[in-house]
Amino acid sequence: MEVIMKKDSFWSPYIAGAGLGLTLLATFVITGWGLGASSAFSLLTGVGLGKLSPEYANKLTYFSQYLNVESPLLNWVLFEIMGLFLGALVGALLAGNFRLRLDKPVHMSTWTRVLTAFGGGIIIGFASRLARGCTSGVALSGGAQLALAGWVFVIAMFVSGFIGAALFRRLWS
Amino acid sequence: MSAPFIVSQTAGLILAVVLGLFFGLFLERGGLGNPHKLTGVFYLTDFSVPKAMFTAILVAATGLYLLSDLKILDMQRVWIVPTFFWPQLVGGALFGIGFLVSGYCPGTAVAGLASGRLDALVTMAGIGAGSLVFAIVYPALEGFYFSSSMEGVTLPSLLGISHWVVMAFVYLMAGGMFYMMERYERTR
Repeated sequence: MEVIMKKDSFWSPYIAGAGLGLTLLATFVITGWGLGASSAFSLLTGVGLGKLSPEYANKLTYFSQYLNVESPLLNWVLFEIMGLFLGALVGALLAGNFRLRLDKPVHMSTWTRVLTAFGGGIIIGFASRLARGCTSGVALSGGAQLALAGWVFVIAMFVSGFIGAALFRRLWS
Repeated sequence: MSAPFIVSQTAGLILAVVLGLFFGLFLERGGLGNPHKLTGVFYLTDFSVPKAMFTAILVAATGLYLLSDLKILDMQRVWIVPTFFWPQLVGGALFGIGFLVSGYCPGTAVAGLASGRLDALVTMAGIGAGSLVFAIVYPALEGFYFSSSMEGVTLPSLLGISHWVVMAFVYLMAGGMFYMMERYERTR
């Protein structure tokens, strides 16, 4: 039986990219810094661990930046991420792209997908902390400032992604 | 009064939500909440990521340096993303693998979840776990983490040339890339 899948509809990536660029420019002009994402995950993990096991959390020097402040959750990037979620939700709903699902390459089993999603996430979380940010905070924001950091990150990311894809041909394609 | 504007904490957080709204809307509309499109560049099947990303960089960089030259924006008060060469090179390379394996990056995972993708939620949990792993091994990594600091160095300051010369290279590089991607897509 042939299953006809509804194709998601999107804008031209150039139009979406121009919108992203204007949003980033507005952020620079208004706040004096760029957009971010990964630090919100680190912040929530640090604060969450601080609630679960304050003793252990206080031993982790890296998390002290979140635990030794008065209201760590009143954080700019965290609020920006909440807005990001709402904006993407509006976009998906208006375009009819919203469907509850586990998105995976066709040939991949559900459990393998859970593993790649989680394992890949661990690598991203670790790498973002080492690089002091991710595609948003370092690549996009730093790239637009012509900061060396942004271009080093972007080039390293694409090179290793291409090598990875050549080694793991059947991961996504 | 010149930009950037100093805003109170409450106003700053409201603006964070508003700017985030547009960030998320454009990510989702560009197809950047979809892991097939996000990883497509690595398999030469979909070029949404480089097209959207480099268009965004071109637009924001042009605006930033134009507003600075017109003295509307004071660049001295803009926080430049600091460079730590080796940690960012290694971090970026590791990041590329995580991006390829999960199909997301931190911001696009949130956009993926917002379009109903539960695997994006799993990746978000993984990102939290990876941050914890980093915090645990941080004492051993601290030396490397602070190595090769170049502070807020930019390509124009590093090369000692005008930012518009650097921008001309960026335009040429991005234009050439867009042209090749469009041509490649038409012949496929």
